[in-house]
Amino acid sequence: MSIMSYNGGAIVAMKGKNCVAIASDRRFGVQALTLTHDFQKVFEINDKIYIGLGGLATDVQTLSETFRYRVNMYNLKEEREIQPKTFAHLVSSTLYEKRFGPYYCEPVIAGLEKDGSPFICSTDLIGCTTFPNDFVVTGTAEQQLYGMCESLWEPNLEPEDLFEIISQALLNAVDRDAVSGWGAIVHVITEDKVITRTLRGRMD
Amino acid sequence: MALKFELPKSGFNFDNYNRNLILESKGLKSPKTIKTGTTIVGCVYKDGIVLGADTRATNGPIVADKNCEKIHYLAPNMYCCGAGTAADTEFTTNLISSKLELHRLATNRQSRVVTAMTMLKQMLFRYQGNIGAALVLGGYDVTGPHLYTIAPHGSTDKLPYVTMGSGSLAAMTIFENGWKKDMSREEAIEIVKDAIESGIFNDLGSGSNVDVVVITKDKTEVLRNYKRPNERVKKEQSYKYPRGTTAVLKTSIRNFVDVTEGVATPMDLS
Amino acid sequence: MALVNLNDVLSFTGNEEDSAFDDAKSSCMNFETSLNFKLPTFSIQNLSDVSDIATAPVDFLKQQMSNENNSRIAIKKGTTTLAFVFQGGVIIAVDSRATGGAYIADGGVKKVIEINPYLLGTMAGGAADCMYWERELGRRCRLYEFREKERITVSAASKLLCNIVYGYKGMGLSMGTMVTGWDKTGPGLYYVDSDGQRLKSDLFSVGSGSTYAYGVLDSLYDYNMSVEDAIELGTRAIYHAGHRDAYSGNTVNVYHMKKTGWEFIYNKDINELHYKYAAEAKPSTLS
Repeated sequence: MSIMSYNGGAIVAMKGKNCVAIASDRRFGVQALTLTHDFQKVFEINDKIYIGLGGLATDVQTLSETFRYRVNMYNLKEEREIQPKTFAHLVSSTLYEKRFGPYYCEPVIAGLEKDGSPFICSTDLIGCTTFPNDFVVTGTAEQQLYGMCESLWEPNLEPEDLFEIISQALLNAVDRDAVSGWGAIVHVITEDKVITRTLRGRMD
Repeated sequence: MALKFELPKSGFNFDNYNRNLILESKGLKSPKTIKTGTTIVGCVYKDGIVLGADTRATNGPIVADKNCEKIHYLAPNMYCCGAGTAADTEFTTNLISSKLELHRLATNRQSRVVTAMTMLKQMLFRYQGNIGAALVLGGYDVTGPHLYTIAPHGSTDKLPYVTMGSGSLAAMTIFENGWKKDMSREEAIEIVKDAIESGIFNDLGSGSNVDVVVITKDKTEVLRNYKRPNERVKKEQSYKYPRGTTAVLKTSIRNFVDVTEGVATPMDLS
Repeated sequence: MALVNLNDVLSFTGNEEDSAFDDAKSSCMNFETSLNFKLPTFSIQNLSDVSDIATAPVDFLKQQMSNENNSRIAIKKGTTTLAFVFQGGVIIAVDSRATGGAYIADGGVKKVIEINPYLLGTMAGGAADCMYWERELGRRCRLYEFREKERITVSAASKLLCNIVYGYKGMGLSMGTMVTGWDKTGPGLYYVDSDGQRLKSDLFSVGSGSTYAYGVLDSLYDYNMSVEDAIELGTRAIYHAGHRDAYSGNTVNVYHMKKTGWEFIYNKDINELHYKYAAEAKPSTLS
């Protein structure tokens, strides 16, 4: 068994028209045993950047704190909010620093840039970044998510349509994965607000 | 004793190394890193160098990125194609690029390709192949055009035409068959494009588009997605769901701007 | 590497340790990636190497199922099944999930095998093993009826199955099954597994989610409960197992074994049960 499927989980982020969405499942389990259904895998970096951390739960929490610390230091030193692209490089460098003893964690980042255009990014566990213009996925349901997203996603989705598509992609993907699911949470980030919804998903 | 603030040490950090060894010894397999399956090539022509690359990144059997950039900037007169572990090629070329920039600022001279090549090979040799970067380095400096390959262990070759990556065999057939001395710019771009397409179509680890960079004595052209032979067919219908399809348990909306209604009262300036 | 002859090329697909393979690997600058795509390796043990030809298939299966081989033959393992005897007969309840690794291969598996109108078997472990041998059990039970002019007892039927699997002990069968029925002695419930173990009791649960099911069953089971309560207990126990165990879930199938033979009660979605139970008041543990 892979370390990445020890705790299980699924995260997806998608671009829309002047908006982005990021969604994750909520299970925290140890192999077959499900412990909680309210585990946080998506973290707010600032108003317009969210990061989803998939993989080994201990590293998810360690990294979320590391990023919080590093972003706080950035804000204090620069006296400005970090931009998504800069944050993606911060994440990438943080992971590559541990090239030969990595965190077992594959992050996805969703945010809005200064001009309001959507930004998504994913990295592997040693910080290799990719910046696609449609969607990024990570976690044990990765293959199922790729399948869902490739067929459901289309360009220029409005926030409400983007919400339906990312939600259905995630819910249906985790229904084919034993170690992900138990509810889901979706954040849709637009120019003037963030809409957070918890979804009614299968609880088995 | 008072807490002392310590600057983080530069270089690689091995804090997790022992923990990870223990996890792996318990039979938990380490996940795969993103590799660039890759066809990368370079060739010398009459006025300079043409570099080419495909744009597929793979994670095991999954295409992780359909349009990634494998031709990395090193200096204004120098670019470097990367194959192997994607993070390694990215960070290695970035590091050398910034060292070259500092070197230029210190010496006030254009960087030489041989300098970059030596820095890259010395770094890769130091890490004994553990940094999985296989590179094709091309540039034009005061001594003319230069084209090198650098293998992960640090060995280098200097040749008039080179290929690397999993598609290297497919690409090399094109060069062996069609390369001529002193080709024109158009001929050189064409053969590089053909070599990359050979990799794209015949090697499963390579795919998507052709990136090309042309470096001459006083001009560098980056032809990103020079050819797109694998354009996706547009979907004829949409899978869009009616709004309200997804069952929601709880919604919370956070507005960034508070809009207050009513008449604005002028500020008391007295 | 010199000219690769045909034999060397063929051996790529046969043996990863082959030096020709390493040659190809190192001359192909991009590590294993391209070879993974072009020449997927599938190392199969050469049967001529095996000294005892009789155990060759067993060794082969063990090798194919081992973790080093990435569990090439992954056998369905996660399951929750339960059965208990009470005043109204026997209740049999099972989940319906089949998994291959973490992938949910099927969410609508029938894990109760209808051997004949008076006998039911449950399925845990290898699906094919359970299906095949319980079908074979049905055939033998029918022959028994012709020979003896009366229905076989649950005790005898379960022993028949037990003796069959014992004959194959150590050869790779994987079954954890409950044989239930109604015979001249009344309701019967036996546990039989591929180790050759056969147990009789009033209450069993088998599979990866069995511990969760036992928790519910042990706290609420009462021999004198009504049929409705018994059905609800079986459903609840499977629901809780499906909720907590990643490899169990999807739907519950409930059967009731009566004097007149078995009756299929219902199939319910575990997810719908979750939201139904969540909306209900929690039962008091102090009443």
